[in-house]
Amino acid sequence: MGSSVKKKKEKKKDFQATKLRVGKTKAKADNFTDTSFKSKSIVVNTQSLSTTAPALGSQLYHYISLASSSRSDTQRRDALSYLINQFTSQPVNTPFPVSPIILLDKLIPLLLDGSASVRSQLLKLLRLLPASEINDRAEPVLLYIRAGLTHLAAGITIDALAALEWLLEVASDDAVSCPGGWFKTVKCFLLMLGWSAGATSTGWTTSNASFGKTGKPLARQLLVFAQFLKTGLINDQPVVHYNAGKNFPLWDVEAHMIPSRSNAYARLNLFGSPRDEEGEMYMDVDSRQRVFHAKFQSAVDAGIAKVKKEAGEAGRAAAVLAKVVRDGMAGYSGVNDTL
Amino acid sequence: MGKKRVAALEKVDADLPNLQYKIRRDPKSYGEDFRSQYGQYVTQRDIFMASPGAATSTGIVSFRDLIDFVTHVADCYPKDTASFPDDLKTILTLHHATLESELREKIVGSLVLLRRKEIIDSSTLLNTLFPILVATPSKTLRTLLFQKILSDLRTSNSKATNHKLNRSVQAQLFNLLSSDRASAKGIWAVKITRELWKRQIWTDAKAVEIMKEASLSDNEKVIGGGVRFFLGGDKEREELEDESSDEEAIDIGKIKHQVGINKKTKKKAKTLERAVEKVKKLEKKKKQPHPLNFSALHLLHDPQGFAEKLFSKHLQNSKSKLNLEQKLLVLQLVSRLVGLHQLTIISLYSYFIKYLTPRQPSVTSFLASLAQATHKYVPPDALEPLIQKIANEFVSEASASEVASAGLNAIREICVRQPMAMNDTLLQDLVMYRKSKDKGTMMAAKGLLSLYREANPDLLKKRDRGKAATMGLKSGAIQQRRFGEEEVGGIEGLELLEEWKEQERKRKRVERGLPEELGTDEEEEDDEEDWAAWEVESDASSDSGGWINVESDDEIEISDSEDEKPSAKKAKLEEAPKSADDEEKENAEKDKARELKISKLATTKILTPADLAKLQELRLEASVSKAMGNRTQSARLKELAARHIDDALTAEQIEGFSKLRKSTKEERIALAREGKGDRSEHKSTQALRRQKKDAEGKSTTNREKARKKNFMMTLGKAKFKNKRSLTQTRRVLRGHIERTKRGGKRGNIGM
Repeated sequence: MGSSVKKKKEKKKDFQATKLRVGKTKAKADNFTDTSFKSKSIVVNTQSLSTTAPALGSQLYHYISLASSSRSDTQRRDALSYLINQFTSQPVNTPFPVSPIILLDKLIPLLLDGSASVRSQLLKLLRLLPASEINDRAEPVLLYIRAGLTHLAAGITIDALAALEWLLEVASDDAVSCPGGWFKTVKCFLLMLGWSAGATSTGWTTSNASFGKTGKPLARQLLVFAQFLKTGLINDQPVVHYNAGKNFPLWDVEAHMIPSRSNAYARLNLFGSPRDEEGEMYMDVDSRQRVFHAKFQSAVDAGIAKVKKEAGEAGRAAAVLAKVVRDGMAGYSGVNDTL
Repeated sequence: MGKKRVAALEKVDADLPNLQYKIRRDPKSYGEDFRSQYGQYVTQRDIFMASPGAATSTGIVSFRDLIDFVTHVADCYPKDTASFPDDLKTILTLHHATLESELREKIVGSLVLLRRKEIIDSSTLLNTLFPILVATPSKTLRTLLFQKILSDLRTSNSKATNHKLNRSVQAQLFNLLSSDRASAKGIWAVKITRELWKRQIWTDAKAVEIMKEASLSDNEKVIGGGVRFFLGGDKEREELEDESSDEEAIDIGKIKHQVGINKKTKKKAKTLERAVEKVKKLEKKKKQPHPLNFSALHLLHDPQGFAEKLFSKHLQNSKSKLNLEQKLLVLQLVSRLVGLHQLTIISLYSYFIKYLTPRQPSVTSFLASLAQATHKYVPPDALEPLIQKIANEFVSEASASEVASAGLNAIREICVRQPMAMNDTLLQDLVMYRKSKDKGTMMAAKGLLSLYREANPDLLKKRDRGKAATMGLKSGAIQQRRFGEEEVGGIEGLELLEEWKEQERKRKRVERGLPEELGTDEEEEDDEEDWAAWEVESDASSDSGGWINVESDDEIEISDSEDEKPSAKKAKLEEAPKSADDEEKENAEKDKARELKISKLATTKILTPADLAKLQELRLEASVSKAMGNRTQSARLKELAARHIDDALTAEQIEGFSKLRKSTKEERIALAREGKGDRSEHKSTQALRRQKKDAEGKSTTNREKARKKNFMMTLGKAKFKNKRSLTQTRRVLRGHIERTKRGGKRGNIGM
C-alpha cells in the first residue's frame, strides 16, 4: 500500500541519516536496552565480611575445593598458587597442615585439566608433598598419569610425563609394583609411542599418518620410559638384613612386627574383585622381567631399532633406552615362565 | 584456503570428532591413534570404576565423550574393541542408580548404537536393558529404556518376524509376572506387550498368555492393564492400522502436472519418481492378502479356566481390593468371555442380583455385562430371577422414564440371547409399555415386542402377535426351540442369493436382447462369467476373516461394482407394486421348492468370495425389510444386525436414547457448538462469512469490493460530484426517483 502520507513519511524515515550535533547526546540505537537501575544498597550473596578471618585449616579446604571444582581455569590456577604459597611459607619442620592424601585425591584429576597453567601449578604443588605419604596413593595417581599419557592433547601428555618422573622419584617401588602399575603403564607407553604389538601390518604399505602427533618430544618420552623400565627391571634396592639376635631372647622381631605401611597384604587381594593379568601386582623384579619379556620386549626392540635410525636427539634417547632394556633383562633366565 | 582451515583445526587440542571423522574415512591408517584413544578410554574407565559416584568430567575430554567416540568407530576395529560392549553392560548394570544422568543416557544410547551396528545382538541388548527398566528408580531412565526396548523389538521384527528373540523376551516378561504376583513391576510387561500387540508385532498366543497372567496377578495396576488389554487391545490395533493406511494420499496427477509446468531439475524428476514408486508400493500393499489376525479373546488358551479364575479371584473373593471401576472392568471381561466362548459359570448370574437396583452406581454397565454374559446355553432358571428383579426394580410406572427404558433395553438384550428366560405374564406386562409417552421406553418395549414376535410369539397376547407371526404359528413354520436345540445346519440367506442370481441372469439376458428364460446350451457361458467375477472382486472381499466387521467390506463392494447397485434397486421397484398378499402366497408355494433348491446351490457350485459378500449384504437387507419400520428405525436395525457377535455390548446401548447420568460439561459444550462452525475468534458475522468464502476460494461481491476500496480513490469521485452541471444533477436525481419507484436497480415489481 503505502498510499497515505503518514506511511510514506514512515518509510522515508528509515533512510534518513541521523544528524550528530556538537553538545547534544547521541541518539540511542534501536536495540538499546536500558540497564540502569536505582538501588540504595547492593547485596552480594557470596561474600561475607567479618573481622576475624577463618582458621587456616578451613581456608585451605576452601581453596582445595575451589581448585578441584571451580569452573573457571584462572580461579583454579589461583587457588593452586595460593596453596603453594601456604605450603612453602610454612616453617621447615612443622607438620603438613592438611592431610597430603586428601590433597592428592582431590587435586590429581587436575592432571587432565585443559589449561596448561593449572597443570604446571599442579606439578609444582606435587613436588611439595612429603614423599613418605605418597607411597600408599601410587595406584590412583598412576591411573591419572596413564590417562594423561594417552591423552589426545599433546600438552597434557608432556605434563603427565613430568608427573610420572615425580612419582618415580618419590615412590619408585610402589609405582612399578602397585596393581596394574607395571603392565598397564608399559602398555600405555607403547600406545603413546605407537609401538603397540598389534600395529604390525601384514600389507605392503604401512602408513605413517597420525593424528595430532606433530611436534611431540619423542626424545623426552623415550627417556621417561627408560627411567620407568629401569625402576622396574633393575633391582638396585639394598637388601634389608635383619640383625638376627639383636634383642637377644627374641629372634627375627622385625619380621613379626605390625607392618608399617597400609594394606600390607594387598598382593593377596583378599577383598577386591579378582584381577586379570593386566591389573595384577608384580611385586618383584623377576615377575616384572617375565611379563616384559613375554608381552612387550619384541615390540620395544622393534621400536628402538626404528627410532635409532632417525638419529639426532631421539636416536640418542633410544640408545639410552636400549641400554636400560639390555641391562634390565640381563639377569632374566627365561626359565621362570610358569604363569 | 580449504587446506589451511583443516590444518588449523588439527591444532585444536583433543578434537575427538575430527579424529572420528578421519577414522571413519580411513580406519587402517589411523589405527594407532584409535588404539591410543582406546587406551585412554580404558584408563578413564578404571578411574571411573575406582569411584563410580563421583563426577568424572573434570578434564577437557570426558568419559562420556570417549564412550561416544569408541562406540561410533567400534565397527572399524572389532578386535580391539571386543570387550567394549561388555564394559558398558557391566557399568550400566552395576551403577545405573548412581550414575549421573547424562552419562547413563549416553551408555544406553551407545549400547543401542552398537546393536544397530550389529556388534551385539538384540537379545544381549534386551537382556541388559530390561532388568534395569524394572529396577531403576529414575523416571527419565525408565522412559528412555522403554522407548529403546520397544524400538529395538520393532526394528528386529521389521524385515521378518524374529521368532527366537520374541520367544525369549516373552518368556522373560512372563517370568516377571509370574515370579512375584504382588509387585507392580509387572506393569512393564503389560505395557510392552500391549504396545507390541498394537503394532502387530506380537500377534501370537504367547502374548495373550502374558496378558492372561497379568490379569490374574495380585496388583491392581497390573490387573487393570491386563483386563483393559483384552477389552480394548484389538480395537486399538485396528484403529492404528486404519490410521496408517489412510495417512499418505499422494496425488500423482497433481505432481505430474507440476513437473510439466515448473522448471525441470534433477531433484524434481527424482521426487516424481519417488512418488510414483510410493504409490505403486501402496497399491501393492492394498492388493496383498490381509494378514489373518486373531483377536486376543480368540487366542486365549482355556477360556473357561481363565474366566472362572478371574471371577473367583477378583469378583467373588471378598478380600479382593479392587474398587468398583476395576471390578466393573473385570466383570466386563468375564461376561465377554462367557458370551463369546459360551462358557458356563452358573454362580456368575447370582452374583449380579445384588447390583441390579437403579441406585447402584453405573448400573447400566452391570446390565450390559449381564446381557453380554448371556448365551443360548445358559439355563433359563438362572436368568429368570434376574429378569424378574430388573422388571421389578426398573420397569414400573413410578420409576423415571430413563430407568424404565434402561431396564427394558437390558431385558431385551438378555432375551435376544436367551429367549427362554421370559415367561408370558411378565412379557405381556412389559409389552404394555409400548404405549408409554416416553420415547425411550416406548422404543424399548417395541423392541421387546418385535423380538418375541420372531422368537416365541406364543408368549404374546393374540392381538400383539402380528400377522406374520400368527400365520407362521398357524402353518407351523414358527416353532419354539427347546433349550439346547441347535438349528439345522445350512447357510442363512442362501435362497436370497439364489434369487438374486436368477434376477441378474434375467436382466443380462434382457440387455442382450435374448428371451428371459434360459436355453439349455447357454448355461456354461454364465458360469464362466461367475468365475470372472471372482477375479475382479476377490481382493476387495478377501479380508472377511473372523471378527472383522463385514459392513466395511460391503461398502467397498458397492463402490467397486457400479453396475450391481442400480440393478438391485430396479428389481425392488418392480416388486414393490405387488401386494403383500400375493407375496405371502408365493412364499407359501415356493417353500417346498426352495428346500430342494438350497441344497442344490450349496452343493453344486462353489461360492466365490464375491458371492459370500453379496450373501451377507442380502441377509442384512432382508432383516431390515422384515422389520419394515420407518427410515431411522430401519437404519438402527441395520446397525444392530451388522453388529458382530464379537463386539462388546456397552452401557450406552442399554441406556438407549435417554441418558441416566448427567452429561459432562464437555458434552454440553460440544452439543452447543454443534453446527456453529469453527469460531476461533470473535468477529462480526460479516467477517466470518467473508473468511469462510475466502477459504473456499470464492470471489467477493461488488458491495464488498466497494467497502474495501481505498478511501483516496473515492475522493476524486466525491469531488466530481460538486462540479456537476445542473443537467447532470437532474439526471441523477431523476434516476433516483425512478429507481425508488421501480423498487431497486433491477426492480422487484414481480415480487
